[in-house]
Amino acid sequence: MVGALEGLTVVEYGGQLTNYCGKMFAELGADVILVEPPSGSDLRAEPPFVDGQSGDEALSIQFAYRNTSKRSIVLDMDRTEGRAAFGRIAGQADIVLEGQRPGRLDEMGLGYVALAERNPSLVMTSVTPFGQTGPYAAFEDSDLILMAFGGLLWMGGYADGPPVRAAGDQAYMAGNLFGAVATMIAVTNAELTGEGQHVDVSVQESVVMGLENAAQFYDLEGHVRRRFGGDQREAGFGVFPCRDGHVFLIASGIGGNRFWANLVDWLEEENIEGATALRGAKWGKRDFMASDAAQDEFWDVFTRFSLTRNKQDLYHDSQKWRVPLGPVNKPTDILESAQLRHRGYFVEMEMMGRSVRMPGAPYQLSETPWQLTNPAPRLGEHTDEVLKRFGFTVDERSDLFSSGAVA
Amino acid sequence: MIRKPLEGIRVIDFCWVGAGSYATKLLADQGADVIKIESSARVDGIRLSAPFAGGKPGVNRSGYFADRNSSKRSCTINMKTAKGREIARRLIADCDVVTNSFTPGVMERFGLDWESVHEINPRAVYLAMSMQGDGGPERYYMGYGLTISGVVGLHAMSAMPGRLPVGTGTNYPDHIPNPCHAAFAVLAALRHVRRTGQGQFIDLAQTEATISVLGPSILEAQFDDRDPEPLGNGHRRFHPHGVYPASGDDRWVAIAVADDAQRRVLADVLGTDDLSDSASIASATVEWDATDLAIALQERGVAAAPVEDAADVVERDPQLAHRNHWVWLEHPEMGETVYNAPPFRFSGLDGTIRTAAPMLGQHTEQVCRELLGMDPDEVAALVEDGVLV
Repeated sequence: MVGALEGLTVVEYGGQLTNYCGKMFAELGADVILVEPPSGSDLRAEPPFVDGQSGDEALSIQFAYRNTSKRSIVLDMDRTEGRAAFGRIAGQADIVLEGQRPGRLDEMGLGYVALAERNPSLVMTSVTPFGQTGPYAAFEDSDLILMAFGGLLWMGGYADGPPVRAAGDQAYMAGNLFGAVATMIAVTNAELTGEGQHVDVSVQESVVMGLENAAQFYDLEGHVRRRFGGDQREAGFGVFPCRDGHVFLIASGIGGNRFWANLVDWLEEENIEGATALRGAKWGKRDFMASDAAQDEFWDVFTRFSLTRNKQDLYHDSQKWRVPLGPVNKPTDILESAQLRHRGYFVEMEMMGRSVRMPGAPYQLSETPWQLTNPAPRLGEHTDEVLKRFGFTVDERSDLFSSGAVA
Repeated sequence: MIRKPLEGIRVIDFCWVGAGSYATKLLADQGADVIKIESSARVDGIRLSAPFAGGKPGVNRSGYFADRNSSKRSCTINMKTAKGREIARRLIADCDVVTNSFTPGVMERFGLDWESVHEINPRAVYLAMSMQGDGGPERYYMGYGLTISGVVGLHAMSAMPGRLPVGTGTNYPDHIPNPCHAAFAVLAALRHVRRTGQGQFIDLAQTEATISVLGPSILEAQFDDRDPEPLGNGHRRFHPHGVYPASGDDRWVAIAVADDAQRRVLADVLGTDDLSDSASIASATVEWDATDLAIALQERGVAAAPVEDAADVVERDPQLAHRNHWVWLEHPEMGETVYNAPPFRFSGLDGTIRTAAPMLGQHTEQVCRELLGMDPDEVAALVEDGVLV
């Protein structure tokens, strides 16, 4: 079947800030060409590696995951010929996706204005830590640093300790994800009007999108939300222990407390001591629910029950009672999920001679399905065929290879 | 006037609460005509969720609701009535996208499952974003961002080593992974409509879209045959890499040092050679204002940041101010309140947020008049009959 993005050519010149975004395009059918320096993308050197191996042949798990279904071409951008080849390819592409420092492509003569001159319908998306301009535009970054600048780091962590970073480079992921949406918006416009676009995506701003209602709490009620890890945010809201781990329970605080009574029904049915005392109007009042007295009383009653059950049993039973509760699963629990197995979510993949299950389609499209076409490419695996596709003659290719401008 | 990029695309939007509403906000802010179908008979729970303007609850006063429903129109239809369902079908007949975030089965009861919508309007893209997707033993399960965070492993993996997991402290899947994947898929499917005239069914399980941003951890667990240890604020390659106390109450600075040259800069700025453990670093950082220290380090090429809270990002961060990230919009009941602008800018398009969130049913008459040709008396009668409420 044909992919929804079939026919789009994406030239990706980036790393952590763009790799997942490029993968999203590739797996809906776009031809995504990852441009790498002769030493390889930075992410190739990022631990952990498959089977803990190290050295030149080691495969970075992050690189392997975020670059599936792409082709790799090596261009030495420090050489005139390498930059010229990039310009020639970008001149025929629909999208240039780049994650270089602001101004870097301009210095190379490959900025948006220069590329748009020969390719007016080009969409160039620049994902950068802070955006193209501004007082912080040249600042150094890491995922932790961008979580901090975006206000999300502050929200996670222990009530009695420091903020704690979310797992999985979520600041970088936010930049990738909003970058993908912004690029598709600009592509939509380009296909309708013929006009290209420079899209300026800030990772810091993308992280800010994850602040939930914290900005509005400050604006409307003058209240600065704080992290609550290890505590209940209010009675009935938070992490609770169970027999084999933890569950996250949201019995309060949603839609005017619409689930509280369901939970009390459940606890009463289970004959849990103290359950009936959780009835009454006070258990819907914000001030009371936030108090230590309410939280302590709730904790005693609920854990009396939860500590006798496993997290998966609590999860499945909670659904019968219409109570929002999730097991605090670990990756190995997720790999065991009957639901994901039934949905065929994981895709089998060969990595360094081992068969693994990789997260598959984030969305199922009935007519133009998500498709994994190939594992992450080896460095420069497709250099020759990509050059050929963009009209480089045999002689030109041979010159480029022998000069070292491509590899 | 500069064009809005998604002008001309109409979305009939049954999404409510978190992720779904945020997904359609992304489209609405770019000029799509997003008509939020809701009802006073069963109000979107987020309209009832704090914070409220002036701290005073009300269906038109929630800042939580407002931020994720900017630039939309609200049309109240009681879908429990046959006439209401008929009006919804008429709206769908001439739209581009139909969206919902219900558990499977709800749209079916409205007579608006994928097959029915496809029959009414073969060009329509149909986005369903339930928690677990449209199949499997957990098909009918419900959840919110925080419980989904638990199910997908984000919560467990976000922790200080050896301590209770803390997650992000927010309904994170609702705000970034799920709305972005959803909006991207809709825009891709709309491209397919432009090319072929064919709509399609997008089945997005919120659990699956969020696991997709945790892929490396899922792979790592298989290579090591055990779950990866949470890293806390640590890093596999960078050292020091962490969050340290700064002067003042509950103020913190994040520092990420990549190599020896940067370690020397950090030692120099902090005036200590002992960077071996976090306690000795903390004893130096605590003397500093978080922003002053971060800027002193940044000026010498070391990645550092003040850990900004909500007041910092809204009022004090000069970069977000430079980007005009925060937009204050006038709302009839809430007054002027703060909204997130999209986190991207276009060189030649107006990509910013348009209007404040709608009041419940604010556009019912306008939508029925413009799109269905009803006259005001007809609308009034349907309101009277409990249909357009």
